[in-house]
Parts: sequence; C-alpha cells; structure tokens
Amino acid sequence: MSEGYAHENELVSAESNLYDRAMDVGIALSITTFVVGMITFADGVSLAATGMELVTFFGILLGVVAGGVGIVAVFSYTNVVPITSQRVRGVALGLLVSLVGLAVAAAALPVSLATMLGLVMIVEAGLLVAAGAGSRFGFVETDPSMSAGLLAGIVFGLLGAAIGAVIVASFPGVPGVIAGVPLWALGGLLFGVGFVVLTVSPREDIGSTVPPALIIGILGATIATAVIGVGWQWTPENLSGGFTGGSVIPVFVLFGSLLSSWSAAKCRADFGARGRQYGAFFVINLNAFLMVAIMAAIVVFVAVKGIGWAFHDFSIGALSLLVVLAPLLVLTVQRARAPAGTDEWHSAARQFFRVLPLAAVGSFAAMLLGIIVTGTPFEIPYQYAILVDRSTVMLDTAFRVTPSLAVGNLLVIVSGTLLFTYFLRRYGSLRDVGIEYERLSPVRQAVPAVIGLLVLLSLVFVGIGPAPGGIPIGPTVGLGLATLGAIVVAALVLAPLGALLTGEGSLAERAHENAQLLNVGLFSGVALLFAVIVLEWTAVSNPQLGPLAPVPTVALLAALVSICLAAFAARARRSTDDTLRHRVLGEEVTLALTAAAGFVTLIGLHVAATSETAFAVGPVEVAIHGSLSWPTVLQGAIPLGQAPGGIYPAIVGTIWIVIGASLFAVPLGLGAAVFLTEYAEQGRFTEVVETATNALWSTPSIVFGLFGAAFLIPRLGNSLSLLAAQLTLAFMLLPLVVITSREAIKSVPDEYRDASAALGVDRWTTIRSVVIPAAMPGVVTGVILGVGRIAGETAPLILVLGSEINATNAIDVLGGFAFTTSPPFITNEALLNSSAALPTQVWGIITAGVSGSTSKGWATAFMLLVVVLSFYAVGIIARTYFRRKINYE
Amino acid sequence: MNNQIGDTDTDTDTNVSTDTSTDSQLGATTGVETSTTTTAGESEEQIRDEWTDYRFDSPAKLSVEDLNVWYGDDHALKDVSMEIPEESVTALIGPSGCGKSTYLRCLNRMNDRIKAARIDGSVELDGMEIYDPNTNLVELRKRIGMVFQSPNPFPKSIRDNISYGPRKHGEINKGLLARLFGRDDSEKEAELVERSLRQAALWDEVNDRLDDNALGLSGGQQQRLCIARCLAVDPEVILMDEPASALDPIATSKIEDLVTDLAEDYTVVIVTHNMQQAARISDQTAVFLTGGELVEYDDTDKIFENPESQRVEDYITGKFG
Ligand SMILES: Nc1ncnc2c1ncn2[C@@H]1O[C@H](COP(=O)(O)OP(=O)(O)OP(=O)(O)O)[C@@H](O)[C@H]1O
Ligand SMILES: [Mg+2]
Repeated sequence: MSEGYAHENELVSAESNLYDRAMDVGIALSITTFVVGMITFADGVSLAATGMELVTFFGILLGVVAGGVGIVAVFSYTNVVPITSQRVRGVALGLLVSLVGLAVAAAALPVSLATMLGLVMIVEAGLLVAAGAGSRFGFVETDPSMSAGLLAGIVFGLLGAAIGAVIVASFPGVPGVIAGVPLWALGGLLFGVGFVVLTVSPREDIGSTVPPALIIGILGATIATAVIGVGWQWTPENLSGGFTGGSVIPVFVLFGSLLSSWSAAKCRADFGARGRQYGAFFVINLNAFLMVAIMAAIVVFVAVKGIGWAFHDFSIGALSLLVVLAPLLVLTVQRARAPAGTDEWHSAARQFFRVLPLAAVGSFAAMLLGIIVTGTPFEIPYQYAILVDRSTVMLDTAFRVTPSLAVGNLLVIVSGTLLFTYFLRRYGSLRDVGIEYERLSPVRQAVPAVIGLLVLLSLVFVGIGPAPGGIPIGPTVGLGLATLGAIVVAALVLAPLGALLTGEGSLAERAHENAQLLNVGLFSGVALLFAVIVLEWTAVSNPQLGPLAPVPTVALLAALVSICLAAFAARARRSTDDTLRHRVLGEEVTLALTAAAGFVTLIGLHVAATSETAFAVGPVEVAIHGSLSWPTVLQGAIPLGQAPGGIYPAIVGTIWIVIGASLFAVPLGLGAAVFLTEYAEQGRFTEVVETATNALWSTPSIVFGLFGAAFLIPRLGNSLSLLAAQLTLAFMLLPLVVITSREAIKSVPDEYRDASAALGVDRWTTIRSVVIPAAMPGVVTGVILGVGRIAGETAPLILVLGSEINATNAIDVLGGFAFTTSPPFITNEALLNSSAALPTQVWGIITAGVSGSTSKGWATAFMLLVVVLSFYAVGIIARTYFRRKINYE
Repeated sequence: MNNQIGDTDTDTDTNVSTDTSTDSQLGATTGVETSTTTTAGESEEQIRDEWTDYRFDSPAKLSVEDLNVWYGDDHALKDVSMEIPEESVTALIGPSGCGKSTYLRCLNRMNDRIKAARIDGSVELDGMEIYDPNTNLVELRKRIGMVFQSPNPFPKSIRDNISYGPRKHGEINKGLLARLFGRDDSEKEAELVERSLRQAALWDEVNDRLDDNALGLSGGQQQRLCIARCLAVDPEVILMDEPASALDPIATSKIEDLVTDLAEDYTVVIVTHNMQQAARISDQTAVFLTGGELVEYDDTDKIFENPESQRVEDYITGKFG
C-alpha cells in the first residue's frame, strides 16, 4: 500500500490507550466464549443453566483464571518472571474483566447460558464494528492495508452465501422457487457477492471487522432470540439423524469466537502486517487447542469408562512403589541439580521449577515411607457398575497401597536395570587415575577369562541339559562354582572398602589413590556375579549354605558396600578443593552407584533364574510373587466366576503380536530400504517398487486379513495362530518401514558417504556405521507410527487369530520353544496356537453382548490405549536416544 | 556454470551458444592444442605444450596422462597431463569452476561416485594404473587421502571421527569380543587420536571434550578435524580441496605450517584460491583456467615471478578470476 517505506510508526509503542484495552478485552471475551463453547460441547455445563447455577459456573472459571493470572502476576511483580508485553498483560486483565462481567450478568439477567452466549456474541460484534469504524474515521491511529485481501474475501463470501441461503430458505411465506431458480440459491448468491464486496473493496480496517461482525452478530442473534434454542431440533428429510440445539449452539459459539478473536486481534495490532500476524496467531492457536482438547477428550472418555474395572482390586506394597519410584527420583534429582542460570536471570523461578518435580516425587516417597512405618494401608474405595443379567450391579472395590515389604523380582530387575544404565551412561572413566597396584593387573586379565569360562560352561549346559543321563552334573558343578564365585565377588567388592578405611592420608586422598581398586573391584564384581547367575540358571542349581543362599546374600552385601563407597566418595568429594580430585571422586560416586544398582538388579535376576521363590531378609523380600495385585492386568478370565476376572492373556497376546511383527518387518524393511536407496540403480525399477510400496501401505487392513486367512493359515498348521497374526501384521507394517526408512536414508547427507569413501571404507561398512546410525531417528519414527497402527488393528486379527473374549491362560511364547533333533530343530507350539488380543477382545465383547461384559470391553479398550501408548513411549525414548547420539547437545 | 564456455571474451551465456560451442570443442579436443575458451577479462591465446612440461629429479608419485572428464555433455577437464613429484606440495590454482576439484577427485577416483561423470585417461600412482578395472579402491583411498572443500565430520564424537578409518580397517579393535579377550586397543586409539589431532593443530582446543559430538565444533575446527581424520589413516598422498577456506588467519597459518611439515613424509596436492598461500607453501604450482585446461605447470617461483602464459599472468596479478 505504501510508497516506499514509511517510518512514521514508532518502533516501540509501549504506551497503550483505551482502544488497546478495549480490544484486549474483546480478545479475552472471545477466548472465554471459546472455552465455554468447548465446555458446553463436552456437556460440562448445561446450556439451559440459569441463575445460581450459571453464577457458580462462571465463578469457578473466574477462580481458576484469577488463580493463574494471580500467580503469574505475583511472579511478574516480584521480577522473578517479568511479563513485560503489553498485549499479554492486557489479555490477562481482559480475561478477568470479562469473567467478572459474565458472572455479574448471570446474576443480574434471568437468562439461560445459551441466550447469554448469544448476547455475548452480539456484544463482540458491536465491539468489532466500533473498532473498525473508529479506525476508519481516524479516531485511533492504525496502519491498515488497502484491502483485507482476496483470501479473506473468498472465505467471508462463502460464509455469507451459506448464511444468506439459510436465511432466505427459512423465511416463512416466501415462495420456494422463482422462474425455475430456487430462491435460497439466489439469496445465497446475493449475500455471497455482498460479503465479497464488503470484504475486499473497503480499506482493511472495515473489510476485516464488519463482515465477521455481521456473521458473528447473526449467529449470536439466532441463539439469543432462541430461533435456535436449547430445545431446537431439525430433522432433514433425507437424513436419518437430526441436529439439536444442544450440539448446534456450541458449534456456533466456537466458530463465532474463533472469528471474533481473529478480527479483534487484527484490530489490536493495528491491522497491516502486524495485524495479520497477530490474528493468525489466535486462529492457529485456538484451533490447535481445540484439536488437542478433542484428542484428550477421547482418551479421557475411554479412561473414565474403563478405569473402574481396570483397577479393580488393585493393591501394591509400599516398598514396591518405592522401587518403581527410584528411577524417577534419580531423574528429578538430576533435573534439580541442573544449573539454573545466572543470578540476574530469574534464577529463583527456574530453581523453583527445577526443584518442583523432585519435591513432588520426594513427598510421594515420604508418604510411602509413612505407610511402611505406621503399618496402615492407604485406600481409595470406589464403586463401578457392571451388567449382570441385563441389570446394573454396583461393585465395591478399592485402590490400595499396603505396607507390605515384598517386592516382585520383575520390578527389581526393571528398576535396577534402568538405574544401572543411567549411572553407567553418566560414568566417564577412571583410566590412568590413582595407583596401579601390581596385583591388580592379573585380576584384570583373569576376570574376563573366568567370565568367558562360566559363559562357555553355561552354553554347554544349555546344550546337554543340566542332568545328562540322570546324573546331576549341573547342580553339583553349579553349587561349587557359584559359591566360589560369590566368595570371589565379595572379596572383590570388599577390597576397595578396606583400602578406603585403612591406609594413610585424608579420606579424599585415599579415595583418589584407590580409584583403580574401585574400578576393577566393582565392575568385575558385577560382571562375575552376573555370569554366576547365568550359570545357576542353565545348570539349574541353587546353592544353599545352611540357611543362606550365597549368591543373593553376596549381591545384597555388595550393593550395601557399594552404597557405602558412594557415600564415602561423596563425603570426600565435599572436602576437597582440588579440581582434578573433585572430578575423580565424582566419577567414583557414579561408579559406586552404578555398581549398587547392578547388584540390586542381580538379586532380582537370581530369584528369576533359580527355583527359589523369594530371597528374604527379615520382612523385606524379593519374591516371584511380590505385593502387587492387579487382577485385571495380571489374571486371566475366571470362568463362571462371580468376581470379575482379568484380561492378562489379551495383553500378552497383543504384546507378542507387536513384538513378532516388528521383529519380522523392521529388519526386512530396513534391509529393503537400504538396498533400494544405496545399491539399486535409481530409475524405473526403484520407482515401480516405490509406487508398489505406497499402494501396499494404503491397502485396507481387511485385505491383509484375507490374505493371511487364505494363504498363510493353510501353510501354518491350518488353524488360527499367533504366528499367522504376527506375519499378517508384519506385512502391513513392512511398507511403512520401507517408506520411512528410505526417506530417512535418502536424507543422510552425501558428504558423510563421500567422507567415508575417501577414507577407504567400503560401501557396506559405510552404510552400517555412518548411514544407518544417522538415519536411525527417522527409521524409529516410522516404526513408532507403524506399531501404533498395527497394535490396535482388529479386522485382520479377527480373520487370522479369532476373537477370543474370555481367555483364561496367556500364551507362553518363551516357554513354547523346544529343541528337536530333526529339522527345523526348533519348534514353538505356542506360536501355532490362537491367542486372545486386546482389539479382538474389545470387538468380541461389544458384538457378543454377554452380560456383565460391556464394562470389561471398556476396560480392555483402556488397556489397549495404555499398551499402545507404552509402545509409543518406548519408541520416543529410542528416538531421543538416537537423536542425541547424532546431534550435539 | 555457463561462463566458462563462450566464443568471445564477452560474457555471453545463452544456452544456444553453449550447446554449439560444446560440440565444436568436442571435435577440437582431438585435434591440435587450441583454445578459444575464455572468461570475461581473459585474453585469447594458444596453450603450448611446453608450458605444462615440468621436469624434476625425484621420482613421480602420481602421473596423469591425457585426463578428460565429462559431466554429461559438459567437458569439465580437457587433456590434462601432469606429473606430481614425491614428498612435495603441489598447488592447484585457477578461477572458480575451472575444474580443480574435479581434477583432485580424479586422483583418488572419488569421481566414480558421481553418476554423471565420465573419465577418460590414465592416472598412475607409483607407476600403477589406478583406473585399472581391477583396482582395489579401498587400498587406493587408504593411500590417497582427501580433505574436502567443506568440512564434513561424521555425526559422531570427536574421538570416533578420528578413529573411524583405522577402526573400519581393523587396525583398532574395540568390540565386545576384543575387550573380553583383553585385546582392547583403547590405548592405541588414544595415542592415535592425540597424534592426529596434534598434527592437525586441534589437540589443545578439544583435548578435554573428545567425547563430544563433532558437529558441535566451529567450522574451522571441523575442517581441522577432517584433516586429522585423514591423517589417522596414514595415507601416502593427501589431496586437500581448499582446506583453509573456512579458517581464520591463525588457524590458516597453522594449516600452512602443517602442510609444509607433511611434505617431508607425504605428497600433498592442495587446491587454493589464495595466491599468497600457494606461493608460500607449494613447491610447484599448476594453473587451471576456465574451460578445464591445465595452462601452465612449473616451479612455484617460476609461475609467480615469470609465467609464460599471458592469461596466467593476468590471473595471478588479479586482472580476472
Ligand atoms: N557433480 C557434478 N555434476 C555436474 N557438473 C559438475 C559436477 N561437479 C562439478 N561440475 C562442473 O564441472 C566444472 C568444474 O567444477 P569444479 O568443482 O571442479 O570447479 P572448481 O575449480 O573446484 O571450482 P571452485 O574453485 O569454485 O571450487 C564446473 O563447471 C561444474 O559446474
Ligand atoms: Mg572446488
């Protein structure tokens, strides 16, 4: 619009005026109506609400907003997180003003929420017109373009046409058709053209305020005058359903407020380029907010329906929860320790938010400790409904945390492994630090050899079985070696402690000098004990010395010693100023913590590997059956039982299907992608393959199901089977893996390949060690998407796996493997059997309609969501890991 | 890319003239040594064979005979013949787009990796033809290392970048098995990393962050890392394509010292746009001019003080280029 660049505008215009304030209130009002529209859409409040009910509703909203704004305002006032933007301040204030206004209006006016929303929209429309006119006639200084633009013109034209057609068509007493042309079409055309002209021809300040104001005003008026009221209904002739006021009004409100926020934002930012930017900001953000809200609503809906059954009779020991909490605790500690910026730079607030998660996890842990100490369980009793013989029955149940000190070995293994990996990754190295004792180097060399021997021996036992020919070689050898191994480990771990406690010099000096002892002792200890446990497992031996089992006892002892070592090193670290020593001692702390986590994990592994059911020290025990009781997830269905059973078999089935399909599809797909991208001549052939892959990806899943049923099943034992399901879904997953891997490999810069080739590295090695690692995040993204799709896939599974709904036993894939003497040498009965799976179970339950099972269906759906989201989480963690590896962070 | 082909010294760059002139040149290459290709500012002259006939006493490490390169129809390098002496620094200079990088890439057959490229002619390393169909490319590129025009470190740690080559060639073992059997080469690797980084004048800057990702280094540091990575493979010949173009004067002078040092054991061929640099560090200089021709090749002093070709003189004194 301008001739050249006019610089008459101020660069910084912090001064605000009445106009700005008014527009901020307008924006805030739009946001408020938008949110209220969403709430009414989800039936959070009735559209017919009046009087006190309405006042309370707005009061609650006001409270929430005032709380949020208040906290931020306090932070801002105390200069912790200064909010300096006039617009943000204005909108925040506007939110308060508009909510107070709405609450007062609700108290003063005897109208329903629907009418009130309509009135608010009319007010918004008036405000927009006033702002547009004010700008046009020069009461406020703005910077509008010549026109609102063609795009806005088309959009408002279409909207106007729709409104015009509806108005004309619904006017009573108007003839339907004039001269063969339906009148509504004429009306629509007229309105449409009018709106286009109104938008495009005047200056931007009129063009982008008056048309939206008209639309908002008309929508508001229809609601306010109850033309479309709460009880309104419309059933079109050629549509079996109908529209009700309850669903149309929220849509009008949402749409109107979206429009008015856009227009008001444009006004607020003085039109022109800044206005367009600010307007777009609101439309995009509110839209995104709506989408997120819809997705969240779906999840919440399923969760609310299914959570009752899913957590039926859930109870867990406090110690088990603490074990689960341990990795979280470590993560939050790490977060809290991160430096919180410089002193001037709002460090207080950052510190606060850094520490917040730790405080939360910490207080939770304290609560659990409280439960253990006082011995009183924590209970949340609740009820949920199931259908028995077509009548609703309420079941009483509760969510419990008991003071039990038993922990399941699986929990110990998972938590321990997580901690072990975490500390190991943080551990750098202690190479060339401290004294290299002469007696250490034989240990360094002997330990790997011994471990190798133990592993070899284990392999032998796997081959010949623990008791070939009835002679119990395994248990005997195991007894001797395991006991011996445990004693050696104890010695290895105690050596650094001994060296630390005796000897000359200060604690820090001793700790520094003995770094090698610590390094060798702890690492060898963990590795050796692990080998011993592997031997115990394969040789089926579980040595007992009197009442003591040497292996777990040593593991516990070693864990405690490691913690002591960590504590000593940490103390020594505090007392030293020397930077090098400080660093070395830090490494020692990490190393000792790594070892502690490792030894704890080994206790769990020992229990898992041997026939022992529990390793107990006093009341604390690590057991196969810990204190977690979660019938829905850990049990099968109970046939004809009164108490509701569980869906464990379906969960296991789904997990195995996903694992099997991924194991099959990912290597194959990645391989195909590598071939197509790196080896095949780019041209016709790769194009054809690419097209075919894309087509395969869009093939409906039921087609894959038919293929599985008609082709795979006859070749895999002629019955519904897990293997057929895995293969069918693998075929579905394959194209996506190929497509995404191909894209990822293509996007690896050629420079890497050149660099590698120039170093004389051959192509395959280059692909393996440079191209694939760099492409890995993309590959993982593809796998995540694909797994998300197949995990919930139902139609093909019904055909190849059946739809078992009351499975009592889970399929045992790992235990199903058996070695045979004739080809194929390894068989797995379990894979050739049918199994339950979550999606087919949902489908089966819903279609079967057996009494009592709708709530089971919801619980199954809920668990399906949880399983899919867990796979998702694993995928995202993997992707983050690979990304971190190739990015510099 | 159009400006190197044109019939006159005016810069006509229409496609039509490009096409016709390409055809005529294709015919001309088999005939007498004539040239009519010039850039704006270049004067016309005939190239004489003796300008590129550089004689030296030591044995030739690389000898290039009648090398021609086409990218599709684009004749990028024309009848280049030159012998590169052992344990010396050879500088390649010339205006942008004249084919220096192309020539360099021919010396370790990196041009094989470009689909559009067609190469004709002979390059011998110590008397062995490298364009023999049975050439072992892995061995060849181990012997002739390369540093690229733009830094291209792998998205790996600094340490892994350096040890990448030796590790893939099996010189360094760090796998699980190697560790289990006590043949872990960590020490060897550490030594190699330190030596290579020191040679490339980078050690002092990165010795405390060897495990950081190499992409986090500055552009100049990345380039020196690439040089270190190349040295780690211990090549006989090192090809460098403007290794100092992204460096500050101090780092550049470090690289220059490094190149001079390297020349005691290695044969270095270096492309540069910096005349002073070429004059400072190289023993002999080859001047390519627009159109992909080697115009003059001789002792560096001779080229810079008393070139035979008028065009070379113009180029060196900055009249065009
Ligand atoms: N991969 C390729 N495909 C097609 N043409 C190419 C390719 N690489 C180079 N060329 C062409 O070959 C000619 C010589 O290019 P080259 O990269 O060797 O120039 P250079 O002398 O290294 O220039 P600079 O100093 O700018 O790096 C140019 O005309 C260029 O456009
Ligand atoms: Mg180049």
